[in-house]
Amino acid sequence: MKVHMIVRPMLMLLLVVSFMVAGCQGVTPPPTGESPPNQEVTAPGGGEETSPQEDPRATPRNETLYVNGLQWGAPTNFNLLSGNPAFPINYGNSRELIYETLFMVNQLTGELEPLLGTKYEWTDDLTLRVELHPEAKWSDGQPFTSDDVVYTYKLGQRYDINWSNFWTYIEEVSADGEHAVDIMLNKDNPNKLTVLDSIELIPMLPKHVWEEIEQQAGGDLATIRKEINDDPIGTGPYKMYYYNDQKITIVRDDNYWGQVLFGKLPAPKYITHVIYKDNAAGDLAFKSGQVDVSQQFIPQVWKMWEDGAPVKTYLKEEPYYVPGSMPSIFFNMSKEGLDNPDVRRAIAMSIDYGKISELAISGYSAPMQPSLTLNTDAESKYVDQAAIKPLQWTTDVEAANALLDSIGAARGKDGIRVLNGVRLGPYEIECPYGWSDWNAALEIVAQNAKAIGVEIRTKFPEAPVWTNNLQTGKFDIIMNTPAGGVSPSQPWNRAQTIMYSKGVAPIGEMAFWNWGRYQNDRADAIIEKIPTVTDEAELKALYTELTQIWLNDIPSIPLMYRPWVFDTVNETVWKGFPQEGDGSNIPPQISMDGAGIKALYQIHN
Amino acid sequence: MNHSVRILLKSPKFMLGAVLLLLMIGVVMIYPLINRNDPLEMIALAYQPPDSKLLLGSDNFGRDLFLELIYGIRTSLQVGLIAGVFATAIGLVIGLASGYIGGMIDNLLTAVTNIFIVIPSFVILILISVSIDSRSSFVTAAIIGITSWPWTARAVRAQTSSLRNRDHVNIAKISGYSTPRIIMYEILPYIASYVVMAFVLQMASGILAEASISMLGLGPYNTISLGIIMNWALVFEAPVAGAWWAFIPAALSIAVITFSLYMMNTGMDEIFNPKIRS
Repeated sequence: MKVHMIVRPMLMLLLVVSFMVAGCQGVTPPPTGESPPNQEVTAPGGGEETSPQEDPRATPRNETLYVNGLQWGAPTNFNLLSGNPAFPINYGNSRELIYETLFMVNQLTGELEPLLGTKYEWTDDLTLRVELHPEAKWSDGQPFTSDDVVYTYKLGQRYDINWSNFWTYIEEVSADGEHAVDIMLNKDNPNKLTVLDSIELIPMLPKHVWEEIEQQAGGDLATIRKEINDDPIGTGPYKMYYYNDQKITIVRDDNYWGQVLFGKLPAPKYITHVIYKDNAAGDLAFKSGQVDVSQQFIPQVWKMWEDGAPVKTYLKEEPYYVPGSMPSIFFNMSKEGLDNPDVRRAIAMSIDYGKISELAISGYSAPMQPSLTLNTDAESKYVDQAAIKPLQWTTDVEAANALLDSIGAARGKDGIRVLNGVRLGPYEIECPYGWSDWNAALEIVAQNAKAIGVEIRTKFPEAPVWTNNLQTGKFDIIMNTPAGGVSPSQPWNRAQTIMYSKGVAPIGEMAFWNWGRYQNDRADAIIEKIPTVTDEAELKALYTELTQIWLNDIPSIPLMYRPWVFDTVNETVWKGFPQEGDGSNIPPQISMDGAGIKALYQIHN
Repeated sequence: MNHSVRILLKSPKFMLGAVLLLLMIGVVMIYPLINRNDPLEMIALAYQPPDSKLLLGSDNFGRDLFLELIYGIRTSLQVGLIAGVFATAIGLVIGLASGYIGGMIDNLLTAVTNIFIVIPSFVILILISVSIDSRSSFVTAAIIGITSWPWTARAVRAQTSSLRNRDHVNIAKISGYSTPRIIMYEILPYIASYVVMAFVLQMASGILAEASISMLGLGPYNTISLGIIMNWALVFEAPVAGAWWAFIPAALSIAVITFSLYMMNTGMDEIFNPKIRS
């Protein structure tokens, strides 16, 4: 018996030790919001390591572009309708390699650039007309026509797939001849912005291929999802070449129709995505030049070039990456104490945003300028910066304390303030465990709040618990990213996610935006109006007013700017990747997503 | 009793363990009185190596790791103590009841104990920790205690059922003493030494359980424990950054605490266990 009592603690000691050892190998969740599952994959063979004898499908290093960070774990299928297709089919991720979208979004300008579509225009208030490139064709030689576009859109109407949500706003999609399509908006919900998202997001599928698959499956989505589609037919410049558990390689289609559009073929003959075990393994391979383009969070990336590696980020100086989203904290507007906008403002002023940027994401966040818009050219043009300036907060603990003093929130014996009989805390602030940059940010917020006499405690539950708390409103303060990503519907989409109160279920039931249940009639009216307005001056006035309301009411506080994708390149083999100020206007979208794919035509050995 | 204590004090193993433990308790009680800083305050850059100001460097948040370590040891000792009390108390009550009363109740309680023994308690610990919404260090300690009592119960039951047929217990029964009184005065004193030893072991395993569960990220919120220090070090890739000071001292502290408790236990065993006692 005694032996058992000793053995058990010994086992636990062993467990602790084994964690430490595991830690030394770097098995930790990468500090990104989209944490890759730590699947056990055998050590990846980098390009140089696999000799031709071992792997008949090995590709020459100087003809192959190596990528990481877009695929974690072995690929299971290349079927867009399956819900979890592997690189490069994954939805909205590496968009223009095999399947293409009608237009390519450019993160730098927010504009849509022509690809399969040549131009789009609103022929009336409810109709978007898209003209298609007459020379576009599928990799099996069949022409790409309006039938394919209509078919692809309607897949989303028939089945519950990635682009089904657009059908909330779309009434009908119809062909107008071979090379034009009309997208009719839903009269009850005419949201032009969201429909514009669809033309840069939905990958075009060949009707002649998928109709057959659909027929064989008898129209049953569950059966269609089982299709592996290991040789996808797309319009894009690449075709599937080879894949296994460690890598996925695609090969250039030398008959690519887009030569008429781009003037030539993309430079790399092959693109290989190497599947690494975790962030640390991927970072190491990238640093040593085994990977050319990395979409991984690399802590202190500047150390790589200081150490002499030919590594580049899009911006030469801090914050190195172009911002794409604003992870924020949301207040539960019904919590006593937090329902006071002055308390929320004081908390906003107490937060050390510089420290969050430095400690949580290696300084990749530019100085915080609170607004509904990102501090990019594509978004900041929507708001009159001078008009919102007086309302924007900066880190100022003294002023925050003075503000709380002025509203009569006096400090109790324990140093925590009491406002009208309500003790300001303990409030719980939460985000999922293991999202390390967020965990760090919240620890800093909690620590900062102490200095103004507000007690905030961190809480890091498992992700499903956090999701449930978020949607049902069972939180005091909670962290989430309001509408991340870059698309034509920004910044409206973000504003809607933060402030729109219609259709938001009461606390206790599920809400999918405005988690804190903020309510402002004027804000609702503006949010409803913006998608119908095209006049730029009017848009700017509306966005400015909305931002002023947000800055006054503070339903959320952005904690950092986060890149949309971490686009870092190593120029050991491939050179000439776009960088800020090179005049190319090619956005840092990992050289293969949206307008970022233009980089593939620019790079060289 | 006094006699036993005097013998104990002569045991080098027990003394080594006890002195180590007392030393540690002394340091963690006194140091916070000298250095009154908030251990959670972020005063330096991330992962600063140890120097004269920061004795053990800083962690990923730029917090003073030495100060954190002191508070961490304190929390871990508290958690161990509470877990030990819970586990020993539950084990004692169930063991005494089933061993002394016997019959159906014995069968029932033994069955329950066996069920708890075959289910790995760490798994239960994980499941409970995941499902509860708010975790303080007390709650975590209580859960650890509630999942780790069965071996104590078993041992106590075995000893009790052998004791209940002894002459002095029978005399007490004939004299009309009540059951609680018999258990209290006729049985408990005979197993007291075992209970103390079990408690020491439960405390050690409680500290380890807290460290394990905290390293999984399921530990208590808003406090510093040794497991939590190591968890942050892992999440922020301290081993990759070469910041050994972020996790080695914490791991060593756990080892020293459990070592001292085991030494105390072994020392006691040599004295109280008639088979080993020379």
